[in-house]
Parts: sequence; structure tokens; C-alpha cells
Amino acid sequence: MNKNLVSFLVFVVGLAVFHNAIFPIFTPKPIGWILNRYVYYLVFVAFLIITHFVLRLKPSIAMKALFVWFLGYYFYDAILFPPIPWTLFITYMVMWSIGVFLYISQDTDSFREFREPIVKTIVGEYKLAQIVVMIAMPILVGFATYKSIYPAYQEPVELRTVHPAPPATTKVHGITYPLESTNNPFRIDEQDKYKDSFPFLDADKQEYMKYVTEGGTIFFQNCHYCHGDQLNGIGMFSHVFNPTPANFIDPGTIAMLQESFLFWRVAKGGPGLPNESTPWSSSMPPWEEHLKTDEIWKVVLFEFWYTGHHPRTFGTEGSIAGSEGGE
Amino acid sequence: MLGKNKRSITAFSLGLLLAMAIYLVPGMTSDAIAKEAFAEQVFAEEAFAKEVLAQEAVEGEGEAEIEWSQDVFYRDWEGNPLKGPVSGYPAPELGPSDYNNYDFAPSRMLIWVANQQHLYFGSFVLAVPIFCMLIEFIGIRTREEDPIMSQKYDRLAHDLMKISLTAYSWTAILGGILLFTFITLFPGFFKYLAGIFRPVMHVYALMFLAESGILYVYYYGWDRMNQDPFLKWIHASLSVLLNLVGTILMFLANSWATFMQAPGGIDSEGRFLGNIWHVIHSTLWNPVGVHRILGNIVFGGGIVGAYAAYHYLTAKTEEDRAHYDWVCYVAMFICIFGLIPLPFAGYWLMKEVYAFRQQMGITLMGGIMAWLFIIQAVMIGLLFFAANSYLHNGMARVKGSHRYMKYCKYMVLLLIVCFTMWMTPHTIVMTPAELKVMGGAQHPVIGHFGVMSAKNTAVNLMITTTVLCFILYQRANKKITVPWATAGNCWIAAIFVGAAANIIFLGVYGYYLPANQRVGLSVPQVCTTLTTLFAGTAINISMFKDSESYGEVKWGSQSKVGTYAIFLLAISFTWLMGLMGYIRSAVRLFWHVTEVVRDNSVDAYTLTIGEAGKMLTFNTLFVWVQFVVVFWVGSLSGKKEQVKAPEGVPVPAQQ
Repeated sequence: MNKNLVSFLVFVVGLAVFHNAIFPIFTPKPIGWILNRYVYYLVFVAFLIITHFVLRLKPSIAMKALFVWFLGYYFYDAILFPPIPWTLFITYMVMWSIGVFLYISQDTDSFREFREPIVKTIVGEYKLAQIVVMIAMPILVGFATYKSIYPAYQEPVELRTVHPAPPATTKVHGITYPLESTNNPFRIDEQDKYKDSFPFLDADKQEYMKYVTEGGTIFFQNCHYCHGDQLNGIGMFSHVFNPTPANFIDPGTIAMLQESFLFWRVAKGGPGLPNESTPWSSSMPPWEEHLKTDEIWKVVLFEFWYTGHHPRTFGTEGSIAGSEGGE
Repeated sequence: MLGKNKRSITAFSLGLLLAMAIYLVPGMTSDAIAKEAFAEQVFAEEAFAKEVLAQEAVEGEGEAEIEWSQDVFYRDWEGNPLKGPVSGYPAPELGPSDYNNYDFAPSRMLIWVANQQHLYFGSFVLAVPIFCMLIEFIGIRTREEDPIMSQKYDRLAHDLMKISLTAYSWTAILGGILLFTFITLFPGFFKYLAGIFRPVMHVYALMFLAESGILYVYYYGWDRMNQDPFLKWIHASLSVLLNLVGTILMFLANSWATFMQAPGGIDSEGRFLGNIWHVIHSTLWNPVGVHRILGNIVFGGGIVGAYAAYHYLTAKTEEDRAHYDWVCYVAMFICIFGLIPLPFAGYWLMKEVYAFRQQMGITLMGGIMAWLFIIQAVMIGLLFFAANSYLHNGMARVKGSHRYMKYCKYMVLLLIVCFTMWMTPHTIVMTPAELKVMGGAQHPVIGHFGVMSAKNTAVNLMITTTVLCFILYQRANKKITVPWATAGNCWIAAIFVGAAANIIFLGVYGYYLPANQRVGLSVPQVCTTLTTLFAGTAINISMFKDSESYGEVKWGSQSKVGTYAIFLLAISFTWLMGLMGYIRSAVRLFWHVTEVVRDNSVDAYTLTIGEAGKMLTFNTLFVWVQFVVVFWVGSLSGKKEQVKAPEGVPVPAQQ
């Protein structure tokens, strides 16, 4: 029997069994370090390699490229969870396809071998394949055209700058603050992360914790409806917003910012954003209209304390300031 | 590897390392040297100020004649702004009469095109003499051992210089166009800039004259100085001088751009404070200079490579194929050598930008320019793909490479995985429906790739992989015979495995540190990568001593895919260079000179990504059309010589 065909059957049948039976049955819902969907996927890949090794199957380079490409597709489409947005999926697949191309074109022989079935299909040596391609191609093009002109009712995607550059100064309650040099007046001490000091509402413990507790009280009175009681951006109202409220736990949000940046953002809210951050689509109110200056600072203090992040500082870095950001 | 001679590759590698060290050492030590010089200068200036004030007090004139003002950037040791005597006029408040425009295009676009085209050509003509210097030096060194190979090197350097000569005139013409565009469209701003940089501009013009003189003597004296060994060394020395003058020229021109971005030596009103060195040596001057030198090397290598690749693909004879294949290799060798340290120079520049104004840094990396940085990440990935593809294909045609080819697919896998991390954006573009499915703005798995800890790790691993690929390429046809071969291999393996482990460890560790400490981890990561480059290459080359050959490289047998990879690299780099230039310049937003001279023209806006992309593509296509013309002009005289060349001259690389 043709070894290419056997190899193809091993791949297709293996994938079908894995996808429809093994994976749904055995993959645990809570993701563990060992028992998780990614490890199962690696086990499946190992199964394919070992089966080919044991059966001494040596598929052609074109077949190998097909397998590798499809394994990437399968990973990004079905394994990676939760599903990634379409734009990212396309980007990843383009990269994966480039990688597959580098693999098949690493030397003249492998590239020639890869092209061989394509050339034979084009020149008509593989008659059946030629007929299939000739029928499938117009159908695919037609389908793609249909999909592209069919009206969509979704909101258009927009590029939004989440961390805009702050202004040099901001005026809150009549006082002008230079953002680069302003520090949180309540950061009199830096200790006691949330995890280390539970129960955390121990306001009598020290002055620093008193401010944190006051900030926490203000947060739970005003902010947690959107930003969540775990500060992870999943508050009870968060699901109706686009963009969703900021997730402070994420190392890419407040952990990268100075406290003065947060002070400015909280005080000015959505309307105070520059244009590149689409102020019209942010629903955060300008909190300076509802909170006192000290209260804003205390909320900021609480957010850092709770998440365990340290505010970004620039003055003390010396020679190691860097290109943090990574929008 | 650069022919049949083993010493040539050693000499070439050492030459490149030396050249890089020449550029990097001043960069690395400049802070210390600058501080010392700065201290002396501050001391002298303060002493002078006291003297003047004391004298005025004695004379009892009452009011001081010299007005002193505070520098916008420089500070003394106590952190107070440095004072200097006011020696210029305040920056003008520019109005409609300070700007001119044509109806067919905005002035901003015209100055952009003029500037970019001049920079592209300037970059090329500064890079080519660096290659010629190295190649000619190798030619001289190999003269006695292998005269044919030596002649080949010499010929190559001469041919490159011929092209550079045409490009040089072209650069000067484009420079003239840039100057006229600037004067005519932005007269108000030019007047202010000229008022401050007056002496620099004159020195620049004189240096240009010196550059031209040396260039003509160097090129036209080539054949005459070729026979006598002493004269040949004089000739080679001229190339060093040429590069020196060229580098000074570039640094002088850089000072105008870096002053506009991060000014120094003036007060908040824009008045010149009497010290021209402060104006030139503003905070971004050093990193921009080093970054541009490395960028020029990669750009020049890419263009020469593309030129050779075109000739390789269209060659009619085997000799031509062999020759141009070899030229492709030399160009790519130089190009990759420049490409490897280039990201680090970029990091240095960004560090200085953050240190100058945090706001500017955030605008670049997290603000309005952030999406352009994502595009930059994609382009850099393409460069590494192209470089690795060329190396894989180049390695495949070397006898004995079968021992290493099997590792290529794993290196490709690693590159792809790293690239996936490298370019995953922190903020993902998605529809509201997708947002709901994902459960929040951050993905629980790939969301971790959005911060610099992941990105630094990815790019360092990509560079390390490229270095490894290059090391395997170097030894592809060599059978190592030194007694310490096993130990050497173990060392190389240990260096790379250890480096990968260290880079990954530091990357993961970064997630557990505050942001200000996390960014500091990039330094040991970079050091680790550079260790693989220098230590790995050094051990590898040392192992070639008395090695046996599986057979010489069969020049002229490079695959087409590998050759097309050179085009990809050259075009991508041209586009990337334009992109980064645009970002660096556009980050000033509505300022001509940051926080000093406001751009009050109708063009003081930031382009959308699409519009910027169109301009970059136009600039790329436009410059490549010009390069084709320049190469065609350069080849007109070459065709005659080819006819005259005696037949039967052995092709050294095929022996």
C-alpha cells in the first residue's frame, strides 16, 4: 500500500479520533499544570511522530508540509483557549505558513520534491487531482467573494491606544500637577502586599494600611461595579462595555505605569483621553467631579497594594530605564 | 568560507569584530568620558561666570551685560539646570508667512520624501566604503598566500566603489533637493535652525569637500596604487580616512535631527547658550549615531546583495554565476553581522528617549505610535526569516552540510514560536463578539506575550538562533581535527544551551519584578546573546585550525529561494528604515523642536497608519527605482571591461 496514503490515513483518522473522542472526554475543565489541553495536544503530536517511526512511514515533503501546516491550524483554531480573535488568528497562521515554507525550502532538493506534485497536477500528470483543483478553485473563489460582499452587522474593529501618552501637566481641583514628578502623597511606606497581610482590613495596624483601607472603601463604593471585586476588570457591569474596564491584575496595565498616570486617568476619565484612545468609546466618568483629590490618590494606592504590583518609577532607575510598554 | 582560504574568514570575521568594536566602544564608554569632560566644562563655565560677574561688580556698572539663562536639558551635579550666556535670539513664534506650500502636495509630504531619499542614498554611500575597507584589507592580507583570491577581493572592492561613486553624486543632488525643499517650504524654521547650527553647517560643507576629495583619490588612484605594496597600504589607509570623514559627516547631520527631537544647549525660549558642543551632543546623539552606523551596514549589505542576486539570477555564464553567488555571500555576511547587534542599539536609543521624556517614550511604545511598532516587529521578524532562509539554503550547497541540515527545521520552529511571542500585541484588535468569547481584553495564555519580558526573551532567542545557524554554516564543510574538538563542541553546546536557559529564566523572572527593575533584565539578556555571538564564533573559528575540508563551496549553485530571500531582506529593510525614521521624527508631534519651537503649519498632524504606510511604500519603490538607474549607470563602464578580459582566467572560488 502506498506509504503516503497510509501516512495520510494515520493523520486524518488520528486527528478525527483525537478531536471527537479523546480530547472532549479527557480534557479537564479547570486547567492544571500537567493535565491540560496543551499537554494533550503535544501527546497527540508525539503519537503521530511515534506512529510514523514505528510503521516506518516516510511521507513526501509535500505531505509533511501539509501535516505541519494543519497541526498549526488545529492548534490555533481548536486547542488555544479561549478562542483568539480573527485578526490574531490570521496573523498567527501567516507566520506559521511562512515557517512551513522555510521548512520546505531549506534546500533545493526538498523544495523540488515539494513542488513535484504541484507541477504534476498543473501539467496534467495527476489527472484526478487536476480535475478536483479545477472544480474546487472557482467554488472557493466564489465562496470567498460571497463572504466578502455579504453585509455584516458587527461593529467595526478599531485600533485603540490603551496607554496614551499623558499630558505634561494635569489640573485637578484647581491645582496643576506635573505628571512626571508627582508622587502619591499617601505612599509613605511600601510594604504589605495583599497576599501577605490578609485579613487586609486591619486599619489600625499602621498609617500606610489606614490609607490603603480608605482607598479600598472608596474603590468598593465606586469602582468595583465595573473593574470587579478582584480588580480583574470583570465587574457586574463590565460585560456591557466595549472596551471592557481595565484589568489591574494583568501585568501589562497598572504595573507598567506611574501612580501619577493613574491619578490623571482616574481624575479625567474617558472624556479626558486623547483622540487616539477614542474618548467617545470609554464610559469611565471623570472622577474629579465625584471624588476629592486625596480620595483619588488613596484609590490608586489601594489598586497597587491589592494587586501586588509596584508603581512604575523612572527617577530611581539610573541607567536601566527602558522601552517598557509593548502596546 | 569566503573562498577557499581558511585564513580569509578568520581575517574577515576579526575585521568585522574590530570594526564593530571601534563603533561600540566609544558608545559604551562615552557616558563615562562625557561625564568627565562635562564636569571639567561645567567647572570652567562656572569659573568663567564668576569671573565675569566679579569683574562687573568691581567695575560697578550695575546691571550685568551678559544675560545668563538656564539650559533646557543640561544640569549640573546638584541637578540644577546649567546656566549659560545667552548668545542667540529666541525661537520664533511661527505664523502663516513662515510656511510655503505647493498646491499638488502638502509641504510635510514633500520634505518627507526629499529627506528620506537623501537618507537612503546617504546610508548606502556611507556603508559601501566600510565594506570596501574590509574587503580591500582582506585582499591585501591574502595577496601572498592566494594571489587569485586576493585579486578577486580587490576587484570586488573596486566594483563596489564604482557603484558608490555614482551613488555619491546622486546623494549630493538629493541633499541639494532636500536643502532647497527645506528653505523654500519651511523658511521660518530653517532660519532658526541655521542661526544655531551655523558653524556646524559650514564644517559639514567642508567635510563634504574632504570626503569628495578622498573618495576621488581613493577610486581613481586604485589601479595606480595597486602594484606597489607600500602604495597599496597607503591606498587602504585612504579608505580608513574616507570612513572616518564619512562618519563625522553623518554625526554632524545627525545632530540637527537629534536636536529637533531632544534639544540641549538652549534655554526654554530657544536662545542659544553659547556652547555649540552642547547643541550637537544632545542626549540622543550617541545612540542615534551608533544605530545609524549599524543600520547603514545592514542596508548597504542588503542593496549590494540584491544587486548581486539580480546578476546571479540573470547570469549567462557559469563564471558569472559563481562570481555573483560569492558576492551575495559576502554582502549577506556583512548584512547579518550588522543585523545582529542592531536591535540592541535600538534599545539603547529607546532608553535614552525614555530618559529624556517619559511622555515621548510612552507615545512611541504605548501611545499613538504603538501600532507602528507592531508593524516594525513584523518587519524585523521578516528580516530574521530572510537571513535564516539564506543561511539554510547556502548551507545546503556545501559539501558536508548534511551533518547540520537536520537541525534547520528545529531552528525554524524556534524562530516561529519566538516570532509569535515577539509580535503578539498587548491590545488585540477584536470585535465585541470576540471580546465576549474571550472573556476580557486579555487572553489568559497569549496575553502574557504583550509585555516586554516576553518580547525581550523572544528577540534574544531569535538572534541566538541566527548566530547558531551562522556558526553551523561556517563549519558546514569542515572536518574538525583539533585534539580538543570534543571539548570545543561541548563548550559551544554549553554556551548555547546555557544562554537559552538564562534568557528564558530572566524573561520569566521579569514577570515577578516591578516594572522599573524588570526593564533592567534586558541588559543581562543582551549580554547573554552577545556572549553566544562572540564566544561561540571565537571557539568555532579556533576549531578550524588544520581542519580537513569535505570539499569547497560550489559557488554558483545557490538555490533560487535563497537568492530571493536576499531581495526580501533588502526590500523589507528599506521599508523598515523608512518606518523607523518616520516614527522617530513623528514622535515630536506638533513640535519642530520639542517643547521649544512649535509647528504652526497646517501640516502639524499625525498621519493615520494607512497613510503613513502608503508614503513608506512610495519612498521604498522610489528609491529602488533610483538604485536600479544608478546600478545601470555604474554597469555601463563595466561592460567594456568584461569584453577586454582575457578568457580562461580561472575562477578561484571553483578551484
